[in-house]
Amino acid sequence: MSLAEEYTGTDEDSRLSQSVAHLRRNRRAYLLIAPAAVFLLAVVGYPILETFRLSLYRSPADSTIETFVGLQHYVEIVNSDIFYRLIWQTGRWVLVGVAGKTLLGLLIAVHLKGDIKGRKFFRTAFLIPWGIPYAISAVVFRWIEHPQFGYLNAVLLKLGVIEQGIGILGNPDIAWLGVVVADIWIGTPFMAIIFLAGLQSIPQDLYEAAAIDGAERWHQFRYITLPQLKSVILMATLLSTIWTFVSFDVIWTMTGGGPISTTATLVIHIYQVGLQNGNLGRGAAYSVIGFLFLLLFAIVYLRVYTRGGDEL
Amino acid sequence: MTMAGHDRSGLRRVRVYGVLIALLGIMMFPFYAMFSSTFKPESEIFSAPATLVPSDPSISAYLDVWTQTDVVLWIANSFVISLGTVVLTLLLAIPAAYSCARNDFVGKRTFLLAVLVVQMFAPVVLIVGLFDVITQFGLFNTYLAVIIPAAAFTLPFNIWMLYGYFKTVPVALEESARIDGASQLQVLTKIVLPLTKPALVASITYTFLYAWNRLLFVLTFLTDSGKYNIPRGVFSMVGALQTDWRMMLTVSVIGIIPLLILFAFLEQYIVAGMTAGAVKE
Repeated sequence: MSLAEEYTGTDEDSRLSQSVAHLRRNRRAYLLIAPAAVFLLAVVGYPILETFRLSLYRSPADSTIETFVGLQHYVEIVNSDIFYRLIWQTGRWVLVGVAGKTLLGLLIAVHLKGDIKGRKFFRTAFLIPWGIPYAISAVVFRWIEHPQFGYLNAVLLKLGVIEQGIGILGNPDIAWLGVVVADIWIGTPFMAIIFLAGLQSIPQDLYEAAAIDGAERWHQFRYITLPQLKSVILMATLLSTIWTFVSFDVIWTMTGGGPISTTATLVIHIYQVGLQNGNLGRGAAYSVIGFLFLLLFAIVYLRVYTRGGDEL
Repeated sequence: MTMAGHDRSGLRRVRVYGVLIALLGIMMFPFYAMFSSTFKPESEIFSAPATLVPSDPSISAYLDVWTQTDVVLWIANSFVISLGTVVLTLLLAIPAAYSCARNDFVGKRTFLLAVLVVQMFAPVVLIVGLFDVITQFGLFNTYLAVIIPAAAFTLPFNIWMLYGYFKTVPVALEESARIDGASQLQVLTKIVLPLTKPALVASITYTFLYAWNRLLFVLTFLTDSGKYNIPRGVFSMVGALQTDWRMMLTVSVIGIIPLLILFAFLEQYIVAGMTAGAVKE
C-alpha cells in the first residue's frame, strides 16, 4: 500500500504528525465507515469477547451468579467421549455433504453450460431449493422420509427395493444420512450457479482446438474443464465447507440432534449445551472450539482470495 | 455439416436435455411431495403407503389454513423482520462501501478483510455470546433482537458487493456534479446509486432472503409467539407426538410463494450476487 511506503524512513515525531495529518485529510472517509465498523464491533466483536470470557466461568442462563473456573470447561471437554464422537459426526457430515453438493452441482452446471433452450427457466428452477427457508425444506424432507406415510417409502416399495416401510430418521445408524440428503439438496444450487459462471468464463476456443484434435468428451472435461475450473472449485468447496460445518436449521428441525445424539454436530451441541440446557459457560467453551475450526477455514479462504497480489 | 455429424450432435442434445430433466425431476421432487400432499384430504394424507397423486384432489387445506393456523401473522412478521434488516443493512453498508471505494486511507484494507472474516463467522458459533449481549441490552423478545444480528451477518456481503460496484462509477462524473454545486449526499443519491442499481437490487434481495429464511435468531431471541416468522411458525407446528402435516405443508407452500415471485423477477440479480464472491473476473 502506497501510504505505508510514505512512512518508511521517517522518525517518530514526523510519523505522528503525518498520522494526524492523514486522519484530518481523511476525516470524512473515516466518518463514513464508522457506523458499520462500530456496529460490527458491537454485534460481532463484543459477543466474541463475551464468548471467550464466559468459557472461563460456570454460568447458568437462569442466574446472574457466575463462578470463575479457569480452563475447567476445556479440560472436561477434551477428556470427554462425547467430544470425539462430535468430531467424528461433524467430520462425516461435512465430508459427505460437501462432496454431494460439489458433484451434483458440477453435474448440473456441465449440462446447463451449452446452448440450452430455456436456460433461464432451468437456472431459476435449480436455484429455488437454495432460497427457501431451511426449516421448510427440513419439514418437507421429514415428510418425504416419514416411516408410514412418506413418499420415499412409497417409491421404494413401488420399485420393489424394500418390502416394508423403513424409518430413516428414527434409526441411529442411518438418521444422519436422512438429514445430509436434505442439506445436499439445499446446498447444491449454490455450487451449480458458481460452477456455471466459472464454466462460461472458459475460452471457447480451447474446446474448439481440442475438438479438431479429436479429443473425447471425457478427455475435454478432464484436461480442459477441470484445470480451468480449479480455482472456482477450490473457492466454492471452501465456502461450502464452512456453511456445511455451521449448518443448524436443517438438523435442528429434522432431528434436533437425535436419535441418541447421532445427528448432532459440533454446532448442534453448542446449542444444546449452551441454550437448551442453559449452561452458558460450557456452551461458550464449545463455541471457542468452533471458532478455531472457522479460523482455520478463514485463513485458507483469505489465502486463496488474496492470492496473486493485492487487489483490494 | 455431414448427416452423420448432424445425427451425433442431435443425439448429444437429446442426452443433455434428458440428464437436465432427470436432475430437475430429482431437485423438484420435494416440492412435488409438498404441493401434492396439500391437495389430499386428511384421510388420504394419513394412508400408507403414500399415494403419489392425490386420488381425490381438494383445496380444503387452503381454506382451513387461515383459521386453523397463524399463517397471516407469521407472514406479516416475516415482512417486518426482512424489511427492517434490509433498511438497517443498507444504511450501514452504503456509506462504508462508498468511503472505501473513493478514498485511500490507513486501515481500509484491514477493515475490508475484517468484514470478510465476519462473513465467515457463522451466527451459530456466536449464539451463546450473542444471547448474553442481547439480554444485557434488554432486546430479548423484540424484533430488534432478530434484525440486529441479521443485519450484522448480511453487512459483509453488502459492503463488498457495493464497494465493487462503486469503484466502477467514474470519479469524473461525480466531480462535474460537484462543480455544478451538488452536495456529496446529492451526488450519492442522484448519480452514484442509480448507476449501481444492479448491485443494490442484488444486495436487497440477498438481505431480504437471509432474514426471511433463517430460523436461528427467532428461535433463540423471540419466545413471544406473536412475533414468530414463517420458519419459526412452521417449526412450532412440529409436534413431539403428533404433527398436523396437512396444515404444516400448506403453511410451507404459502410461506415460499413470496419467494417464488421474487425469484421469477429477480433471478439474474440473485445469480449475480451469488457469483460475485466466488468467481473473480
